[in-house]
Amino acid sequence: MTELKRILHVEDDPSIQAVVKVALEAIGGYQVLSCSSGQQALDEVQAFDPQFILLDVMMPGMGGPETLTRLAERVDLSQVPVAFMTAKVQPGEVEHLRGLGARDVIVKPFDPMRLAGQIQAIWSAGGV
Amino acid sequence: MESSNPTPAPAPHRELSRLAALLRYEILDTPDEAAFDDIAHLAAHICQTPSALISLVDDHRQWFKSRVGLDVSETARGVSFCTHTIEGQDVFEVRDARLDQRFSDNPLVTGEPHIRFYAGAPLTSPDGFNLGTVCVIDAKPRSLSEEQRTALARLSRQVMRLFEERLHAHRYAEQAAMQQALLNSAASAMLVTNADGYITGVNPTAERLFGYSEQLLIGQPLTQTLFPIDALVRRASILSDERGETVEPGFAVLTAPLAEGQREMREWRLLHRNGSTVPVLLNVSAIHDEHEVLRGYIVSAYDLAHQEHLQLRLQQIAAQVPGLLFQFCWRPDGNSSFPYLSEGLEDVYGLSAAEMAPSIAPIYSRVHPEDREHVLASIRHAASTLTPWQFEHRIDHPRKGVIWVEARATPMRQPDGSVLWHGLVTDVTERKAEQLELDKQQEMNRRLLEALSEAVVACDAEGNLTLFNNTARIWHNLDVHDVGPEHWAEYYRLFHADGETPLSMDEVPLMRALRGERIRNQEMTIVVNGTVRHVLANADPMFASNGQQSGAVVVLHDITERKQIEIMQRDFVSTVSHELRTPLTSITASLGLICGRVMGEVPEYLRELLEIAHQNSKRLSALIDDLLDIDKLYAGKMRFDMQAHPLQPLLEDALRNNQGYADSYSVSIEMDQCPAVAVHVDAMRLEQVLSNLLSNAAKYSPAGETVALSARLVEPQRVRVSVSDKGPGIADAFRERIFGKFAQADSSDTRQQGGTGLGLAISKQLMEHMDGEIGFDSTPGAGACFWFELPCHALGEAAT
Repeated sequence: MTELKRILHVEDDPSIQAVVKVALEAIGGYQVLSCSSGQQALDEVQAFDPQFILLDVMMPGMGGPETLTRLAERVDLSQVPVAFMTAKVQPGEVEHLRGLGARDVIVKPFDPMRLAGQIQAIWSAGGV
Repeated sequence: MESSNPTPAPAPHRELSRLAALLRYEILDTPDEAAFDDIAHLAAHICQTPSALISLVDDHRQWFKSRVGLDVSETARGVSFCTHTIEGQDVFEVRDARLDQRFSDNPLVTGEPHIRFYAGAPLTSPDGFNLGTVCVIDAKPRSLSEEQRTALARLSRQVMRLFEERLHAHRYAEQAAMQQALLNSAASAMLVTNADGYITGVNPTAERLFGYSEQLLIGQPLTQTLFPIDALVRRASILSDERGETVEPGFAVLTAPLAEGQREMREWRLLHRNGSTVPVLLNVSAIHDEHEVLRGYIVSAYDLAHQEHLQLRLQQIAAQVPGLLFQFCWRPDGNSSFPYLSEGLEDVYGLSAAEMAPSIAPIYSRVHPEDREHVLASIRHAASTLTPWQFEHRIDHPRKGVIWVEARATPMRQPDGSVLWHGLVTDVTERKAEQLELDKQQEMNRRLLEALSEAVVACDAEGNLTLFNNTARIWHNLDVHDVGPEHWAEYYRLFHADGETPLSMDEVPLMRALRGERIRNQEMTIVVNGTVRHVLANADPMFASNGQQSGAVVVLHDITERKQIEIMQRDFVSTVSHELRTPLTSITASLGLICGRVMGEVPEYLRELLEIAHQNSKRLSALIDDLLDIDKLYAGKMRFDMQAHPLQPLLEDALRNNQGYADSYSVSIEMDQCPAVAVHVDAMRLEQVLSNLLSNAAKYSPAGETVALSARLVEPQRVRVSVSDKGPGIADAFRERIFGKFAQADSSDTRQQGGTGLGLAISKQLMEHMDGEIGFDSTPGAGACFWFELPCHALGEAAT
């Protein structure tokens, strides 16, 4: 199994962006590229060549699900797992997001100490 | 039997008449009678023969009413000598039967009794029919002298006279019996006297009425026995004056009027044997015989006591009836009379009996002038249609002033064309006053209803709409219409609080009230022309004074504005909560990273403050989550993922997830028992309820204590999950609102114990959404046991 190194994080809120970056880099030792919008992610995804994409659902302009759809045109998602981050979800919503091609959903507010572990678990379970 | 010389056949219709004449005497087959036997003997003696017969010939035989010298009582008609006799008018004589071709081979000649000689005289009825004979017979040939023949004919006429007498005696006895029966069965007392007034016969009614037996009355003078002397004297005096001649105070008092051809019918009070008097209607008739000779009198006495009794009873009943009972007769010629008026006459019309004329005029004069025409018209109408008459009108009462009366009567057409009314007139002045007062009140109520800003709708016991006030008409844009309850919701556009789901008939508040329910604050909407009006419905059944339900009423209060404010508030809470969450997420996460020493060691003097900031930021997140949950629950927007789950793993997960929290209070959680059942729930939401109960229990438990988690079946298909603690219990003052929003034991508690105060409110809502029920048992100071119950089924079985 390839070792997970590069994670693309798309999140419009700079504070959360910063906290997630610290949590993943400091605890998980990953390399994180933070994008502030779906468009930025589309622009930079090929150059960065991420192994895992973490997508916020609610973003102004291009939301998480649309970003995912557009990313699929540039990246082979069978090789790059995508996880959504969202506030407490209603039943059915997780299924909906999975149906869009996401591997899993991480619920906000997240525990920064456990976040790296959660992503590693998804990565490992994905069998990539 | 045939004779060798056949007798000529009689004309058939003549023979039938002869037989009818014979039967009329009713003598065939009767016993022997001496009078007839004397004649038979006389015949035998006169004619010097050993045998003589009185013979009657019917259609097939001759029968002997009397016989001398012969044993048989009848012989066949075919061999009879008498048949020949009755064909002629004279004595028929056969001197020697053996030498007579008509009889020589007759068995009565050739055998017993060997008749040789026969002579018979016909028995001729007054109407000319020969019914039989008086005949003499001998076994030796002989002949009668002329005297003997004449005597035989006379004897036969004598027999015929006896027949006639006998017949008259029968008729007389029958008539006498019938008269006696008539007398006996007469409802009136009947006394028969002779011409001098002495009693010769009485019937049983007379015995009963006057208390004497027949024997005691027969032979007694009628007037002295049964008539009071003073009454006789009075009557005699009146009669004497009338007739200008003295009438003695005796029997003549009864008979004198008859002499003038008058019928004497008069009321008397006669004497009973026991001294009392008996009111009777007396009728006297003279009895004359066929020669117009006075034979006596029949005195009939009709008992009036019964009628007097009825009269008294009617009077007593009428006295109990408030008002005037009357019988009124209206004749075709326009005349009228009152055959009966009760004593209420004064009360209702202010008229004494003396003031009453036989006509309607005195009463009519009391009717208020403005009402007279209407009263007359209504009476005429009722009389012409023969429909019951009912009319309220005013009376100018001399003592009471103007009063209101209600008159009602039923007309009946009589055979003579007149109309007879039976009716009642009652003073309804008081009721009328009440009615007017009631009308006033109703008018007031009506105005009040119209002025109300609430909508009011009512219906009767059959579900017919009876009232829409002004507000109701505006809201529905409709008025009372003839619409059955099954169409109310559709016709009046009634929906659930969501403004979309139509109410079913059973949910319409007025319908529920009509079925006896009391409805309090049922929220619903009226949607007219796209405008949604939110209303609270309060409905009640209405009852008549007899306790029977008379209908239902609903009052609708417009809460549209309040609803809009509520929605705004909720939107505000929802928006603010969402907006708060994002920055809070980064604060909590940052503090988490710092406190997790991800950014390196934290100096000791900062660590405690950072921990406080971290804990409180987490609490703030939980509060926001709870607010959002509550918001979704109350808005009906929370979705539930209902699945069947085995109960035990759910409880074990909850225990595990909350043990850490309990540890922080040095409290342990232990699980007792759990039946092997599955529940149909949203697992995440059940976990939320369990976490809430367990964390509450841990929070309020003294350090070192244990919280018990257990489950047991309370019904075969219902499980109760309990969480018991040994904390302070629930204060009485707090019981009522423990499941309300922002409820905590006291305000200072929030800080001390942490928590949002929304947990139990959310838990209650969640349980209700999952068909469960939540509650608690607690004694203040002795811990609390919070529980919830859910429908369940045994593991492996499908849910029912």
